[in-house]
Amino acid sequence: MSKQEFLARLRDGLNGLPQDDIAERLDYYSEMIDDRIEEGLTEDEAVAAIGAVDVIVPQIVSEIPLPKLVRESVRPKRQLAGWEIALLVIGSPVWFSLIVAMLAIMFSVYVVIWSVIFSLWAVDLAFAVSSVACLIAGLVLILRGGGSAGLVPIGAGFILGGLSVFLFFGCLAATKGAAVLTKEIAAWMKSLFIRKENGR
Amino acid sequence: MDNQLKRGLLDVCVLAAILDEDSYGYKIIKDLKPYIELSESTLYTILKRLESAQMLTVRSVEHDGRLRKYYHITDAGVRRIEDFKEDWKEIMTVYQFVTKEDHQNHE
Repeated sequence: MSKQEFLARLRDGLNGLPQDDIAERLDYYSEMIDDRIEEGLTEDEAVAAIGAVDVIVPQIVSEIPLPKLVRESVRPKRQLAGWEIALLVIGSPVWFSLIVAMLAIMFSVYVVIWSVIFSLWAVDLAFAVSSVACLIAGLVLILRGGGSAGLVPIGAGFILGGLSVFLFFGCLAATKGAAVLTKEIAAWMKSLFIRKENGR
Repeated sequence: MDNQLKRGLLDVCVLAAILDEDSYGYKIIKDLKPYIELSESTLYTILKRLESAQMLTVRSVEHDGRLRKYYHITDAGVRRIEDFKEDWKEIMTVYQFVTKEDHQNHE
C-alpha cells in the first residue's frame, strides 16, 4: 500500500472526528512513514510497519471521549441560514425531548443491567443472613431443651450457607460480565457516531 | 504486564527518551524498542497526554523539505522522572518483602 493510500484510508476511518484532530494524526503518521523511508525502507514496507488501518482506527476512536464525538457530529459543517435557525428553535420541543428520551433510554439500559446485578447480590446476602439466623435459632432451640427439633433449623442453616457461598461465585461472574457488557455498549455508542458520518 | 502499570511506565520512558536531547516520534520508538513495546498510536496518545500535562513542548522543524515534530522536556517533565525514581525505591522495598515471603513459604 502506498503512503497516500494509507493516509486516505485513515482519513476515511476517522471521518466524524474533529477536523483538527484528523489533520494532526495524519501529519503524525505521515512523518512516521517518511522517517522509515529515510532510513532505507521501501514505501510499502514503511506503511506495513505502521500496522493495519482497521486496527489503528478503533484504537484511536476508543481513546476519544464520547462527549467530544457527539459534539463533533452535531456541529454544523457550515454557517446555518436564518430560516434553519428559526426551524431549529420552533422544532425545539420536538428534538429536545427526543434527545432527552434517547439519553434516558441509554441511562435505563445501564440501570437495568446493574439492577439485575444488585438483586443477585441481595439474594446472596439474604441467603447468608438467613443461614446465620437458622443456625442461631437451632442452637437456641437445642439449648432450651428442644432436643432433636433444633437439628432441623441447623440443617437448613447449613444448606442456606452452602447456597450463599455457591451463589457468591455466580454473582462475581455476573458482575464481571456486566462490567464488560457496559463497556461494550459504550464502545458501540461511540461507533454509531463514526458510522453515521461515513454513511453520508 | 498489567495495562495500568505499563501506561505509567510508558509515560516515564517517553520522557526519559527526550531527557538528554529533543527527539522526534520515530526516534523515540526506536530508542525504546530494546526496553518496552510501544506502537505508533500508543505513542501519539502518550505525547498528547504529556503535552497537555505540560511535561513536554512541541516544535516543528523543517527537515528534508518536510516538517518533523521535535519534543522538548519541561521542568515538570524532569520532575516526573525524579518522582518515578523515588517511587521506584519504595516499590523495590515492597518487592524485596514480597519475594522474601515467597521464599519462606516454599521452603
